[in-house]
Amino acid sequence: MYPRNPLTVAFPAFLAAFATAAFAQQPPAAPPSWQQGRSGEQASSPLHPFAIEVTGKAAKLLPVDKLKVPAGFKVEVWVDGVPGARSMALGDKGTVFVGTRQLKDVYAVVDRGGKREVKTLLKGLESPNGIVFSKGTLYVAERHRITRYDGIEGQLDNPPQAKVVIDGLDPQQQPGHFWKFLALGPDGKLYYNVGAPGNIVMPGYFQATISRVDPKTGITETYVQGVRNSVGFDWHPKTKELWFTNHARDWLSDDLPNDTLHRVAKKGDHFGYPFCHQGDTLDPEFGKNRSCKEFTPPALKLGAHVAPIGMRFYTGKMFPAEYQNNIFIAFRGSWNRTVKQGYNVTRVSFDANGKPKMEPFLTGFLQDEKADPPMWGRPADVMVMRDGSLLVSDDHNGIIYRVSYGK
Amino acid sequence: MFAAALSFFPACAAHAAEEVPRKAQACIVCHGADGNSADLAVPSLAGQPAQFISMQLFLFRQGDRKDPQMSPMAVSLSNADMNELAAYFARQRSAAPSHKTAPENAAAGRRLAEQYHCVQCHGPALLGLQHIPRLAGQQFAYLKTQLGGFKAGTRADMDGNMTSAAQLLSEKDIEILADYLSGLTAPRD
Repeated sequence: MYPRNPLTVAFPAFLAAFATAAFAQQPPAAPPSWQQGRSGEQASSPLHPFAIEVTGKAAKLLPVDKLKVPAGFKVEVWVDGVPGARSMALGDKGTVFVGTRQLKDVYAVVDRGGKREVKTLLKGLESPNGIVFSKGTLYVAERHRITRYDGIEGQLDNPPQAKVVIDGLDPQQQPGHFWKFLALGPDGKLYYNVGAPGNIVMPGYFQATISRVDPKTGITETYVQGVRNSVGFDWHPKTKELWFTNHARDWLSDDLPNDTLHRVAKKGDHFGYPFCHQGDTLDPEFGKNRSCKEFTPPALKLGAHVAPIGMRFYTGKMFPAEYQNNIFIAFRGSWNRTVKQGYNVTRVSFDANGKPKMEPFLTGFLQDEKADPPMWGRPADVMVMRDGSLLVSDDHNGIIYRVSYGK
Repeated sequence: MFAAALSFFPACAAHAAEEVPRKAQACIVCHGADGNSADLAVPSLAGQPAQFISMQLFLFRQGDRKDPQMSPMAVSLSNADMNELAAYFARQRSAAPSHKTAPENAAAGRRLAEQYHCVQCHGPALLGLQHIPRLAGQQFAYLKTQLGGFKAGTRADMDGNMTSAAQLLSEKDIEILADYLSGLTAPRD
């Protein structure tokens, strides 16, 4: 086969491409995917993605006291020692399951009266970024398949063999955004992203989409398209419409295009990639002879390169009433920008007309916006707990924080 | 095993600026008590970014990076061990390099380091940062082996960047670059 190394800052599949083509006389000198779309003048740019601390970092070595939340709220370290912690899912018995993108592990964090134990539940997976818990079953989305582990919470020390829900999701070992977010829709189907195979490239038929699979039949279908890469989505608690975050292209400029928040009005909607970005900006290459009018614009522009990852509607009872059905989004933070931004958890609220607006909610990860690196931590996902508190994962350090109110 | 290892180089430990942690005793046999290697084929760890060291140990443990000496060393290390070792060696001062760059390679090496964008990630003084290693003053033979490995596609690479970059290098370029980098004294030393 080909060398597989999930330990990438951005896109390891270059190695796959390299090995596949290595039989040719001249091995290709293809740069990593994160450099794709960079102009000639940008070739000496010092901007680069930041690698995670693959061995994790102890919270006691980090300036966690710099974290800030609005008055009345409190933030604390919930658990550390969860290297690469990304997507979170909550079990019926309170187990917090944690997926990883750049490692191969899925963890189970068990809370025993305030003392938390981290178990490495599953090992050797291919970018197990997406996880869902439903009716006793843990679903895991790897780059190429979705699997299920039934009755998982009763077998945390001896997990069952994976049962395949669907395989063959990555038939060409695509470069670019191959890791998957996973969520269970109100229709009982599993929704996942298939990202664009590069920064700014023409995607294949099922790429740059959010797709869904019926776990009963294994039949997939494209749900929406023109989505460069979405690694966070959730359904509005009242309208049941799907909302999702999207990462816009790099190497265009510091301030364009914005990363975006979208609402799906109907199946089949096209959100513009690679032709039109942020609903109003044609791509200099792919946007020629096109119009942004043919695509669905975003609900909200989030800022350039802020890297919105996990998002959830707040449905808990702990936070003040005005937070009900707001959206929390984890901004992992920019790398492809001279002056860095993001690196926070942002709150999106809605006015009487349903118009969204955003404000920072959890800040303090960004230390020096012009430094390399600019931050000491990076929020990757958010999850509402049963008591209404909000967990925030930080994949850079392998730490999960807890935000609570009024105690 | 630690005691046996120490007895080979009893003097080294005494030269260290700080007491060598127990966990590092096995490392210093080859890498030097203060992380300054005396072996041309063994990399110096002194002054390397901590994240670089912990990531390489992780890659050895995971089997992505392979080496007859290092792979068995890393297999039993926990994440906490790796972090402790990384922090210790990152704290050590890098010694002035014993390697002397050939006069004709000083300017030529710098030119290549800029032409091939080495300075873009490893930094203008090639001191490394984050997960990217310091190259200044690194052992000559080690640098050659790594660059050759990247060129051949056999050296574990994080995202393909080094493998890609090394494709452009000729054998002669590798020789000149290694000679230049190995003799570089960092400004902070």
